[in-house]
Amino acid sequence: MVIATDIEPQEPPMIEVRDLDFAYGAKLALEDINLKVARHRVTALIGPSGCGKSTLLRCINRMNQRLPGAHIRRGSIRIEGHDIHDPRVSLTLLRQRVGMVFQKSNPFPKSIHDNVAFGLRIAGVSDPVVLDEAVERALRAAALWDELKDRLHQHAHSLSGGQQQRLCIARAVATRPAVLLMDEPCSALDPIATLKIEELLGQLAQEHTVVIVTHNMQQAVRVSHDTAFLHLGRLVEHAPTAQLFDNPQQALTEAYLRGTF
Amino acid sequence: MLTRRVRGSWRGSALTQRLIRSGFAGSASVTIIVLALIMLFLLREGAGFLGTYRRELETYRRCGLEFCDLVDRPLAQQEDLAGSLRRALSSSLEPLIGQARARRDEALRLKREVDQLTQTQREVFEQAQALPAAQAAAALPEATKALSAALKAASAAVVIAPILSAKQATDLRLQLSTQIPGKEQPLALINQLQQEFLRVDKEAKARFEGLQEAIETLEEAPEDLRETLSELKELALAAKEQATLHHTLEEGRQKLLNAAQNARDPKEKAALLKEAEASHSEPPDESALQAQIAELREPLVLHIGAYSAKVDQLALHLPEAEIQLPEAMELLQKTAQALPRHAAAMRASVPELRQWKADAPVHLRSVLGAFFFGTQWLTNSSWQDFFGFLPLLSGSLIIALIAIAMATPLSVAAAIYCNQFASPREREWIKPVIEFIQAIPSVVLGFIGISLLGDLLKDLSQLPMLSWIPGFPIAERLNMFNAGCLLALMAIPTMFSLAEDALNNVPQAYIDASEALGATQLQTIFRVIVPAALSGMGAAVLLGLGRVIGETMVVLLVAGNRIAIPDFSDSVGVVFQPAHTLTGIIAQELGEVSRGSAHWQALFMVGIVLFAISLAVNAMARAMVRRFELPKS
Repeated sequence: MVIATDIEPQEPPMIEVRDLDFAYGAKLALEDINLKVARHRVTALIGPSGCGKSTLLRCINRMNQRLPGAHIRRGSIRIEGHDIHDPRVSLTLLRQRVGMVFQKSNPFPKSIHDNVAFGLRIAGVSDPVVLDEAVERALRAAALWDELKDRLHQHAHSLSGGQQQRLCIARAVATRPAVLLMDEPCSALDPIATLKIEELLGQLAQEHTVVIVTHNMQQAVRVSHDTAFLHLGRLVEHAPTAQLFDNPQQALTEAYLRGTF
Repeated sequence: MLTRRVRGSWRGSALTQRLIRSGFAGSASVTIIVLALIMLFLLREGAGFLGTYRRELETYRRCGLEFCDLVDRPLAQQEDLAGSLRRALSSSLEPLIGQARARRDEALRLKREVDQLTQTQREVFEQAQALPAAQAAAALPEATKALSAALKAASAAVVIAPILSAKQATDLRLQLSTQIPGKEQPLALINQLQQEFLRVDKEAKARFEGLQEAIETLEEAPEDLRETLSELKELALAAKEQATLHHTLEEGRQKLLNAAQNARDPKEKAALLKEAEASHSEPPDESALQAQIAELREPLVLHIGAYSAKVDQLALHLPEAEIQLPEAMELLQKTAQALPRHAAAMRASVPELRQWKADAPVHLRSVLGAFFFGTQWLTNSSWQDFFGFLPLLSGSLIIALIAIAMATPLSVAAAIYCNQFASPREREWIKPVIEFIQAIPSVVLGFIGISLLGDLLKDLSQLPMLSWIPGFPIAERLNMFNAGCLLALMAIPTMFSLAEDALNNVPQAYIDASEALGATQLQTIFRVIVPAALSGMGAAVLLGLGRVIGETMVVLLVAGNRIAIPDFSDSVGVVFQPAHTLTGIIAQELGEVSRGSAHWQALFMVGIVLFAISLAVNAMARAMVRRFELPKS
């Protein structure tokens, strides 16, 4: 089931998932997923717990492949038209193009500066001028620069929870990825910190294509352009957010949104 | 009814709970109480040490032993200096006389060999000679014939080293074959070789006459001084003996008096008191001794002055011109530099001698100093026992450092491999195998050190291609390096397990984050996991250090047990010297000393310090872990 979105036909979609079946060992976690995500849009993945939204997110940067038994049975995922499972694709490069922010903030036990510079350093950048510039740009993108510019060499764990999560965002965008994957980035944060990150998402979409997993319907409404609803490993509906929430096409979607599940 | 039953059962369960609780609390408190008792016991036995050692040092001073040592200590160097001069002489003589001596020795050796080969025939011949004349006439010719044949065969058979020329060899064989007792031909060649050697030796010695004289001068220089000193030493020892005797008697008397006080039976009491009275002794009068010391002080000072003047003179006139060999030159130069220092040290003792007072009190501070900074651990000495801590501490520390330096990289690398690279199946057997090392009894490791590692090290050190390693070739099979290797092996399981735990404790979230940023496995390991686990690994190293310092059996068997501060002049090569340790000395000596003596108490003091070191190391490890604790994932 392919749902038409407003993709310009001449340009390949940023992310394209085709006929994807994904399994943990014998257990099928995702079945027959087809999804196209356009450039510079924020797409929310919603659905009940265990529906496979995080699994789908982690397929996009191949984070699942480390788990024993996890494998793709069928189908493919393409980023800007390139199959990410092509043997010629380097995992390092893929992950530099597809950044990720996790549910719980996980800054390294290093200084703020070293956290943000980590992605560049492992990519082989060692020029301090380049690094400093990139750190500033990333911290500005995560709206942290003004708060932290005088304490870049403090330990990252001295920051508040919301700041730590924004630091993780800065760390993810420092390598200028095309895609930013966010796995419930606000679930461990208080409302004010959540609000700051939600405000940020709009700005991030100007430079990145964002896919965000969320449990929070209101958040999906507030931050996303498109929404995809998953249920039991299947993609039930994918539509512009306003349309999906106001006028769901599928009975299952409607039931979920109304809470009469 | 129902309520009551419920309440009753509730009460019952409360009692059971309380019992269980106190059972657990009891177990915990038993452990803590035992620990407290151990500490108390250690402290009680060790605390007496300061008093006892102070009394011994007081006796040492009062009886004048200290006075003698003021001179004796610097004087001990004189023998070393004379020895190195003698070595310089003999190594210079060697190339000149070596040949002649070897030739003579070879000839003498051949004679002995021929004698040995013809032993049986010689005995038969001698028996025949001893017979009464009638029988001798019958037996003797045959015996003579046999002996003569044997001699011929033997002297033809012996192998003559090429150091003797062909003609000399032929002559020698001829002369040796005619050695029938009673009709000996003079052994002309041997005599000639002996004369030759004596001539060469005399010539050579004449060439080094200056050095010979210098040695004699140095050896004879302190004769007067030593004479006066040994006179003093005898007096001092006699006084010390008396003082010790008095102290022993006095102690016994106090015991008897105490017993008398506690005795209930008046008869027994009277008997005890009488016995105590009998063992009464007057404290020895040391005024006579002190008068003698005062009397001998000035002559001693005069002798020291004369002696050091002679040494200085000698240093100026060491005959260097005759010496050509570089090694002899070096020895000579070193001695020439050491001689003025020796003279200065001797002179420095003069003001000390003058200031020395027999009745100066021994401060507690100096007793502590004598223990913690004392450089001698000397027991059962006929002169004076010293309980200096430094030789033991230095041995323990160097061995522990060797062990840690070897075990740290090994165990950390093994932990990283096991935790990060190994497949689950590899992990399944690597961990148990490494942890199995702990099951090897340390005494068995000691065997390995003595029989296997020691020989291996010694053989390796004799390889010429390894001679660049400082300290090689090594003199002792049992040394600090050997012990350090085995202790490293013992520390590896502890350190490996703890380091592996530290790596395991690194939150998965860090690893996820790193991989999501595109880091390769190696980058994740070395930039994220290892830095995050560093404090845990530091604690692992410290706990390994604690284990190594406390280990006894291996060091006792393998460290060589020489009680001396190692000689650091050979830089890293110092590790190949033998040493004794804090733990080893307790294990070795505690069984043999009399209970309550200063030596016994000194060993307890060593135990206390050891305890304190272990405690400090453990506390440091705990603090390290707490300080850098990672957030729980």
